[in-house]
Amino acid sequence: MSTLPSVLGVVDYYEPWWIQIVKSVVLFALGLQIVPIVLLGERKLLGRFQGRPGPNRVGPFGLLQPLADIGKLAFKADFRPRTSIGWLFAIAPIISILTAAAAFSLIPFGDTVDIFGTQVGLYGVDVSIGPLYLFAFGAVAFYGIMLGGWASGSKYSFLGAMRAAAQLISYEVSQGLALVGVVMTAGTLSLTEIVQAQEGMWYIVPQFVGFLIFLVAGFAETNRAPFDLVEADAELVGGYNTEYGGARFASYFFAEYLNILVVAGITTTVFLGGWMLPFGINPPTWVDPLVVLAKMMGFVFFFIWIRATPPRLRYDQLMSFGWKILLPLATLNALVTAIVVVLVDNGTI
Amino acid sequence: MAEVLFFLVAAGALAGAIGTVSVPNPFYSVLALVCHLLCLALLFLLLRAEFVAAAQVVVYAGAVMVLYMFVVAYVGGSEMPVGPQGSRSMRLGSIVFAAVLFVELAIAILGTGLKALGTEGAGIGADGVARAGDSPYGTPEQIGELLLTKFLLPFEIASFLLLIAAVGAVTLARRRGGLHDGEEQRITPLDFVRPRSTGTMAEAVGTRPNATTRERAGLTSGAASGGTTETEDR
Repeated sequence: MSTLPSVLGVVDYYEPWWIQIVKSVVLFALGLQIVPIVLLGERKLLGRFQGRPGPNRVGPFGLLQPLADIGKLAFKADFRPRTSIGWLFAIAPIISILTAAAAFSLIPFGDTVDIFGTQVGLYGVDVSIGPLYLFAFGAVAFYGIMLGGWASGSKYSFLGAMRAAAQLISYEVSQGLALVGVVMTAGTLSLTEIVQAQEGMWYIVPQFVGFLIFLVAGFAETNRAPFDLVEADAELVGGYNTEYGGARFASYFFAEYLNILVVAGITTTVFLGGWMLPFGINPPTWVDPLVVLAKMMGFVFFFIWIRATPPRLRYDQLMSFGWKILLPLATLNALVTAIVVVLVDNGTI
Repeated sequence: MAEVLFFLVAAGALAGAIGTVSVPNPFYSVLALVCHLLCLALLFLLLRAEFVAAAQVVVYAGAVMVLYMFVVAYVGGSEMPVGPQGSRSMRLGSIVFAAVLFVELAIAILGTGLKALGTEGAGIGADGVARAGDSPYGTPEQIGELLLTKFLLPFEIASFLLLIAAVGAVTLARRRGGLHDGEEQRITPLDFVRPRSTGTMAEAVGTRPNATTRERAGLTSGAASGGTTETEDR
């Protein structure tokens, strides 16, 4: 394992290999635990938003509903259409889930802490190129959707996958440019250092435009309403995952919700001060992950709220909104931030 | 561990490159190229060039190959396999071209690229010699500094080239009638802030027809299915 630091680049401290394994397991388990909660929360909340009780039959208040869902999906037969391409059909959900989990490991839940005499960072990995790493895995995640839709051998799946391709390309640019402003202000690409740079003022204040752009593009990247043309159920049955069932469908589902958590986590980290609390409140270190989780859940609630509220965009509206409004706005934001940063550095302001 | 990784990834890169040119189905060819590019990114990672690795994945695997895949999935299916075709002189020319490219690459690699072999990543010091404590070459700071100082002119020229390509693509699309007036729906921030039941001034005076006036004018075809037909044309 002595070569690992050279692979991971500049790491401030050296973590033993067993810590890294423990961290991976804990992070994956965390994601695996939150997703069913989010799932139940979404169905309950959507019910309330639409004036109905939501799932309330399985267990007390319907709390065991996700267990029933997962059990049902796990025991279903893995059906696949005769026109599909077997091996691609099988590996596509795996790509989706792998990249989502890899991106999840990027979210810092706290600073480095001392656990039984070992320095442990409360994050999966703190790479020196945080946002770029995120976008790299986002780029690979696209192949999970694209290959799934293409290999299904069904027109609905194919159209869903094509829409996903166009949508991802269009909104990835704006999302990246929105983060450029933050990176310039913080002067670092490491996510933990970005959080530390927000001591005193969270970036949601000076980078409010960037925050809005990032959030909107995040909706599009995770294929959530009102940008859910990828799986528009009224037109495409289910989009790229129409032909999937059983455990493979569950993997796609898991990856989708994990991606929502990733967007919520990155927004929290980059714009909402990560594990910091406002007004100079300085809680003990073990509270930090809970603070991050609470902020993330706030965003997840916002995602669900938005899903229940506006109607789906039309395809041309989606494209012109992405290219003609979001992209120029993001470019302008980056430009203005750059000018302000230079002026502040020179002492003009 | 680094050695094992290197050989695994290098084998993957070679397999991807060979697959790209030898697979008959264009879709699999693109997939093989994606595999090749991802392996190259891993090789960059082994050289401690994280920024280059991430840029490789984001730009090539994420943007360029997505467009390739988009086009291939739409127009080129397995019904039209790519294979060796064309005249004898073309084939001969391609062999000559490949040989020239090989010689050129060999000159470049033997001339400069081998310097970094045997070092722990391409560290760049004042004397050009890599040392253990050196910050590695691939960090974003150093790349940014090089791009904005030593390689400013090539960097700007390259960006102008891309800009020209983009402008050219837009011009061609307009000339071929890819975008019609009226089919092009414009969204302004005002659409979100104005009360829902009201129209715009442009609709009132008729410079920007809404759905009903367009129907009256006999332009129904574009109004309802503007989005879908536009995508099918591409």
